[in-house]
Amino acid sequence: MAAMVVAALYMENSRQLRDREGEKFMSVDEIIGTARKEGRSYLTELESKQILKEAGVNTTEIRLARSKEEAISLSKEIGFPVAMKIVSPDVLHKTDAGGVKLNLNSEQEVAKAFDDIISSIKQHEPKAKIDGVAVQNMARPGTEVIIGMHKDPQFGPVLMFGLGGILVEVLKDVSFRIVPLTKRDAQEMIREIKGYPILEGYRGQEPANIGVLEDLLLKVSDFVEQRPEMKELDINPIFAYSDGAVAVDARVILESD
Amino acid sequence: MKDIVSKLHRAFNPRSVAVVGDKREMDYMWLRNLAHFQGKVYSVQIDEQELPGIEALRVKNYYRLLDIPDEVDYVIVAVPRAAAPQIIRDCIEKKVGGVMLFTSGFAETNTEEGIRLQQIITEMAKEAGLNLIGPNCMGIFNPRIGLLNAADQYYGDGGPVGFISQSGTYAIFFSLIGAAHGIKVSKSVSYGNAVVLDSTDYMEYLAEDEETKIIGMYIEGVKNGRRFFTSLREIAKRKPVLIWKGGMTEEGSRATATHTASLAESPLIWDAVIKQCGAIKVDSLDEMIDTIKALLYLKPTTGKRVGLAAMTGGQSVVITDTFAKAGLEVPLLTEKSYQKFATFFNIIGSSYRNPLDISSNLRSLDNITRCIDILNEDERIDSVVLELSLGLLTRRARSIGTSFDDLFEALAQRKDRYDKPFLVVLFSGPEESVATEVREMLMAKGLSSFPSFERGAKALNKVVEYYRFHRL
Repeated sequence: MAAMVVAALYMENSRQLRDREGEKFMSVDEIIGTARKEGRSYLTELESKQILKEAGVNTTEIRLARSKEEAISLSKEIGFPVAMKIVSPDVLHKTDAGGVKLNLNSEQEVAKAFDDIISSIKQHEPKAKIDGVAVQNMARPGTEVIIGMHKDPQFGPVLMFGLGGILVEVLKDVSFRIVPLTKRDAQEMIREIKGYPILEGYRGQEPANIGVLEDLLLKVSDFVEQRPEMKELDINPIFAYSDGAVAVDARVILESD
Repeated sequence: MKDIVSKLHRAFNPRSVAVVGDKREMDYMWLRNLAHFQGKVYSVQIDEQELPGIEALRVKNYYRLLDIPDEVDYVIVAVPRAAAPQIIRDCIEKKVGGVMLFTSGFAETNTEEGIRLQQIITEMAKEAGLNLIGPNCMGIFNPRIGLLNAADQYYGDGGPVGFISQSGTYAIFFSLIGAAHGIKVSKSVSYGNAVVLDSTDYMEYLAEDEETKIIGMYIEGVKNGRRFFTSLREIAKRKPVLIWKGGMTEEGSRATATHTASLAESPLIWDAVIKQCGAIKVDSLDEMIDTIKALLYLKPTTGKRVGLAAMTGGQSVVITDTFAKAGLEVPLLTEKSYQKFATFFNIIGSSYRNPLDISSNLRSLDNITRCIDILNEDERIDSVVLELSLGLLTRRARSIGTSFDDLFEALAQRKDRYDKPFLVVLFSGPEESVATEVREMLMAKGLSSFPSFERGAKALNKVVEYYRFHRL
């Protein structure tokens, strides 16, 4: 449970978050182009989620607030509870620096969190450049799964599927398929992992909707095929529910030009 | 993909072969391998000292490939590595159908000179569109026309199995051991460092080859995995493709580097590739042979339920464990089957629940055959398995004054008549020396046997999985 909460709140350094007024629809090409122009080999969490949305993947909301007032209005828009997190290129260990606040349920809590985060950062990292604070909705905890993509030197893009948390880290309970996936591949790679009974709803836990996960794998496979610019993709975690799934964090690494 | 047929046809079906650089030191092995070749054989050798030996084999020698007055379809090259570029140049000029380099000492040595020479011949061949096989290999085996990799391989008659092997040893072993198990090769190729033609090219060729019904592969590495994957996915729908990947451990991949200069590849990714394409993964030469045997000799089924008949009690327990462990099911039989058993089966010292222990019923041939007939008729059973224990068979034959022949004949008839796969495990026990002979007796009747429960069970499970994947 603790792992899930931490994962839900884990957000990348989102330097390129746009303020609300400046936020506009950007195509995948534009997002990748911007990153390249700025000399980045990765996409921020916000950018990664934007392109995943284009691929048809359901993700959590994440927006940049530059002021306390903006944080309040964004959190009302996104809906409580929210999580907040410092956005600064100079703060590496955000939690240690007091840059992360979870489970904020009201305007008052959001306002206080904003002030606390800013003052804590100023105290811990006086020289840090602060872009703002990211506001993100707290996804309802579900069974954690991960979908990853890496490029095998021989076979090209490969998708990985596994259960999140310690199951993937310690037990390496994951399955692989070469892109493009067929429906059968998606079905098999989910059922192939040892932890599959957990997805079926072990001991009264909410089962994951396997059809939704299969669909998700196929969407990611399609997207990976269309986007050879992506070198790696890590959607971790995804919260799987009986009626859907949501990508809570995502990260894209780009191929060098 | 049809292009590959016209591209490789001459190399795989040559009407003329030239051997370059064969010598006494190798006992003229390449020329000797061609003793039964149905087309023309030429030698190319500049060393005067070698000429009498070549003449003694009644092969006409030329000083250069280009001096041969006729077309040359296939060239076998056994010269020292430094001479390889010159020979390749001649092959290009001669417009040969294909050239295989037995010559080694290239990138697999990881020396500057070896890598440089490999680069030279690769570039020359690629630029000219020359079909270069190898280097560091044994080349093509086409038994029907007597084109051999080794003098003890068979010729005249081939079979339905195409074999693609990065190792020459396994190309030869597969043909010889396979033949001892009733598996004959249509065409095979050992292709070594694969600098120009790679496994995918050969696989695509054999996919189009009408004589080839099944493709087996021993691979240490592929040059273009993406292309391999795409081709395999398509071909595995049409013909069973078995893949045995060498170097699946970190230690093993060190060996593939020095053997055929292949790069380390992730075993997990290979597993995914094989599974995804509906190919069959095998992990040893034995598994390769067993699984091909099951494809060739067992009727197809997608069912996992086996009916097991062992000759003694202990074996009946162990055969059950083994088949269950391999992924198969050993269900109870129908009530109807049990009623049939009750009419004749001697249960003192025997049992028939499934597994069957038929020890007390061995004396009567009729009882043995009734047992397996009931398994075949039972609707809960998809495959029938019978253990033949050599020691017991010998004793039975001696005590009731009969030969193996009556039993084997009865089994062979059933193999043809049954609509289900009928698998025989020939358990040699302490009588290993007789096992080969008995295996051949069985084979002469069209019954291919498996030498252990493990090997039979694994092979059966692999082909069932294969038929399930492709919904045959």
